[in-house]
Amino acid sequence: MTVLPRSARSAGRHVLCLVIVAVVLYPLVWLAFASVKPPDEILSRLALLPTRFVFDGYTKGWEGAADVGFGRFFLNSFLVAGLSVVANVLSCSLAAYAFARLNFRFRGALFAFMITTLMLPYHVTLIPQYVIFQQAGLVNTFVPLILPKLLATEAFFVFLIVQFMRGIPRELDEAAIIDGCSVYRTFWHVVLPLSKPALVTTSIFTFIWTWNDFFTQMVYLNDTEKFTVPLGLRLFVDTSSESNFGAMFAMSALALVPIVLFFLAFQRLLVEGVSTSGLKG
Amino acid sequence: MTTVRTPDPPVAPKAARVPGSPDRPAGRRRKSQPEAFAFLTPWLLGAVALTIGPMVVSLYLSFTDYDLFTSPKWVGFGNFAHMFTDDDRYLQSVKVTLVYVLVSVPLKLTVSLLVAMLLNTRRGGSGFYRAAFYAPSLLGASVAAALVWRALFMGGGPVNEVLAFFGWHTPSWVDDPQFSLASIVLLGVWQFGAPMVIFLAGLKQIPAELHEAAAIDGAGAFRRFRHITLPMLSPVIFFNLVMEAIHAFQAFTPAFVIGGGRGGPADADLFYTLYLFEVGFQDFRMGYASAMAWVLLAVIAIVTAIVFRTAKLWVFYDDAGERR
Amino acid sequence: MRRTSERRTLVALAAVVPLLLTGVAACGSDPGGDGGDVTITFVWWGSEGRANLTKKAVELFQQKNPKIKVQTSFSAYAAYWEKLATQTAGGKPPDVLNVDTRYLAEYGGRNVLADLNGGAGKAISLADINPELAATGVYQGKRYAVPWAQNTPAMLYDPAAFTAAGADPAKGLTWDQYADATQKVSAAGGFAARGATDFGILDTTLEIWLRQQGKQFYTPEGKLGFAADDLRRYWQLAGRFRDAKGASPADVTASYNTSPEQSPLGKKLTSSEFAYDNLLPAYQKANGKPLNVAPYPADTAGNTGQYRRPSMFLAVSARSPQQEAAAKLVDFLVNDAEVGKIVGTDRGLAPNLKVRAQLAASAKGSDKTLYDYEAALEPKLGAAPPVPPKGAGAIQKLLQRTYEEVAFGRMSLDDAVSRFMSEAQKGLG
Repeated sequence: MTVLPRSARSAGRHVLCLVIVAVVLYPLVWLAFASVKPPDEILSRLALLPTRFVFDGYTKGWEGAADVGFGRFFLNSFLVAGLSVVANVLSCSLAAYAFARLNFRFRGALFAFMITTLMLPYHVTLIPQYVIFQQAGLVNTFVPLILPKLLATEAFFVFLIVQFMRGIPRELDEAAIIDGCSVYRTFWHVVLPLSKPALVTTSIFTFIWTWNDFFTQMVYLNDTEKFTVPLGLRLFVDTSSESNFGAMFAMSALALVPIVLFFLAFQRLLVEGVSTSGLKG
Repeated sequence: MTTVRTPDPPVAPKAARVPGSPDRPAGRRRKSQPEAFAFLTPWLLGAVALTIGPMVVSLYLSFTDYDLFTSPKWVGFGNFAHMFTDDDRYLQSVKVTLVYVLVSVPLKLTVSLLVAMLLNTRRGGSGFYRAAFYAPSLLGASVAAALVWRALFMGGGPVNEVLAFFGWHTPSWVDDPQFSLASIVLLGVWQFGAPMVIFLAGLKQIPAELHEAAAIDGAGAFRRFRHITLPMLSPVIFFNLVMEAIHAFQAFTPAFVIGGGRGGPADADLFYTLYLFEVGFQDFRMGYASAMAWVLLAVIAIVTAIVFRTAKLWVFYDDAGERR
Repeated sequence: MRRTSERRTLVALAAVVPLLLTGVAACGSDPGGDGGDVTITFVWWGSEGRANLTKKAVELFQQKNPKIKVQTSFSAYAAYWEKLATQTAGGKPPDVLNVDTRYLAEYGGRNVLADLNGGAGKAISLADINPELAATGVYQGKRYAVPWAQNTPAMLYDPAAFTAAGADPAKGLTWDQYADATQKVSAAGGFAARGATDFGILDTTLEIWLRQQGKQFYTPEGKLGFAADDLRRYWQLAGRFRDAKGASPADVTASYNTSPEQSPLGKKLTSSEFAYDNLLPAYQKANGKPLNVAPYPADTAGNTGQYRRPSMFLAVSARSPQQEAAAKLVDFLVNDAEVGKIVGTDRGLAPNLKVRAQLAASAKGSDKTLYDYEAALEPKLGAAPPVPPKGAGAIQKLLQRTYEEVAFGRMSLDDAVSRFMSEAQKGLG
């Protein structure tokens, strides 16, 4: 083994990393520039930088497609994602507390069941769920998108919070119980505040996943006024000519902005905090 | 409702232990707390009304013809028989999905492990890279990313041009059955950041002394990788493998958007989930779609079981070391 | 006391969240009629330009019927059917909907569409509609839809390119001449762009080609009207164009998705394409060059196989609680003279002959091209074939898929033919 000087190896590592960064971020940079290129340059010129900056894509795109402004799609997406976050955090933390701290019959069996549902392809429940919502007249409302979150069907988050709560020193909540607190109070005043990091993680991921979700929203939402951002973007693909590419990419770029902001704001928590706390076991 | 996705916030790979039972001395066990069910109510409701109930119903529907408008007609094993003997598109969708899973998962895990090792130095300064590599994992599942991908790989798009510069003239990737799936695989690999972060956390747990001792004994980099890194990392590899495979089996959005909503050129992007959607929600064959869903469940269960079984052979749990 | 306060918080949360959800549901559902007003929904497929015209017509309707409010929505052809399917599955198809002949049996047969022979449909007058056209839209004795416009399958082409190649499609070519001309057009452009969009994927072109030989795509009983050998010969014809590089390469062909804006001719990748005559302006806008419309190539002069096609239908949902208002809108869109003026020839010729005569007299620009074209062709046009059976929409896609296998060289012609025949027969049941 040839031993390179430490500095040379470190420089080599950085160069390699930067190359990978360039490749990985290229699509995003391409999108950012494509959204401000004149329409005829988007596909025909390889150069990343536009010859002149054009913001028509944004103004045209914001007008939306099929008569509904893009602002509406954003509003709908925020509504669905926001309510999903509230619903998920609430329902998953309730269930997680029971699994992490309370004793009850069939706990082992129920926990095993919950873990199993982690691996369940959603297609197995898709059609009957659809029939239920269809019979209840709830297709084409946001209920089918939010109700499952309110009922903690995303086992992954229950599991995540259980794992976190198990890491909280038992002495804290046992002391509360000995002091005469009910389990409800202990949950609300002791365990829940201590679980904040897990709840924040749950919130962020619920938001991002709901924001990105396409399948469920496509199946359940029919009217263009109820469309969310992913469905709105699809409208551009269908009805637009090449000259409308600018609008499509401008709105695609906008659609990614909330996620990027979340990522920048919570980057440390997302990547670092959780990976270590999760792996502690 | 939503797919089981890669758990981007990594969770203990060896976790799934029933809490309470093994890590608490049996003597300290308290009696049952009925309040627990108050906490569990939403989850239980969901489990019964949105998971178990629908599963039973969909199992029943899989033996019927059902078009949503008229009541289901019992057809016995007809749907399953049709699937494997009489439906070329079904078999095509199985083929496409298997190729996707078998190519994209190993590729993604290899890339993520290699990059994780690159970033795993004792000196700091890799935070920026880690963040940059992780970003696509959050963005990649969106329609927006798929649209960008479609444009990048379209005829005359950047990928065409760059390859042509190196003398390789390719057709429009997204419109050619030979290349179309490859572009979707690459979109999957682009999101290598999530498993990478988990690998990185796993790598940090490997005691540096092990490597140092081996290096003193004269073991080269490759041997150390083979005999220290891989075994020590095997639980994490196992976890990533299971999650990524389950995830890949259920891919939908990229195939739908890049394949133009119809399964791509000559059905080259006809993913299982895409065909299931088409059968159920375009052709109103809900019975057949349910049958397809159950076959998917069975396949995922079998694959998971195989991975778990073989795990004994190659996954190395150093429990003592972990509970320092 | 504090203990109860927490419990109250939980109870309150449990109470508030469902409320929030129903709130969402409430603003999600359609606003009910306020003060006797009626709201109906109306959907169609097509481009943005078509949408603007249609919306103007709808506005006029609302002015004349102030008690009826119409909510409109549109999408591209493929997406339209995708969305209509999920809407129908959801139990709430739109009140007034645009239907294609390929899907008429599908939706009519499922009782999604109201029978307009009786009930509210009586408000729709077919008195002035071209009688041959008026006979369409009927499936198994029930009138599920009324024709909204008449068009004709046709060739759209770039006259400059073809003139340079020494051919004049407007005068009518034989298939051999067309093959020759497309090859020359491709060669003139260095084979980067091609003379024709490969028509092996197009069900309408197959239909016209079959009609030129006295055959039909579907029999009146709803079976395939042609044999494996016919399809083989059709694809061999397309193959000649492809092999000579007169027609688009396979990857360009595969990108075809029925909307003019994204078709190879619209994207300037070819110089001619089989479509419908009324799409001329849309293609022209997408392509940017002046285009023209020509009859189909034919080997026996005068037998081009073209016919008076109900280019699209209007139908009323059988589940609509507002069928009267819906029928009123349908009648207005089909028969009103002012609507005819607003929408022009975007969907084809007006179905109402009186309106059509008025418009023809004053037509200008691409409208005039279309009227002249149809007038010249009129004596040669046949009647529309019977309503295609259930599954025709799926067969359109099947033809495209299987031909792509051939074009990409992934399947032999014989295998593809037998794959198509067996799947089509299965699909038609």
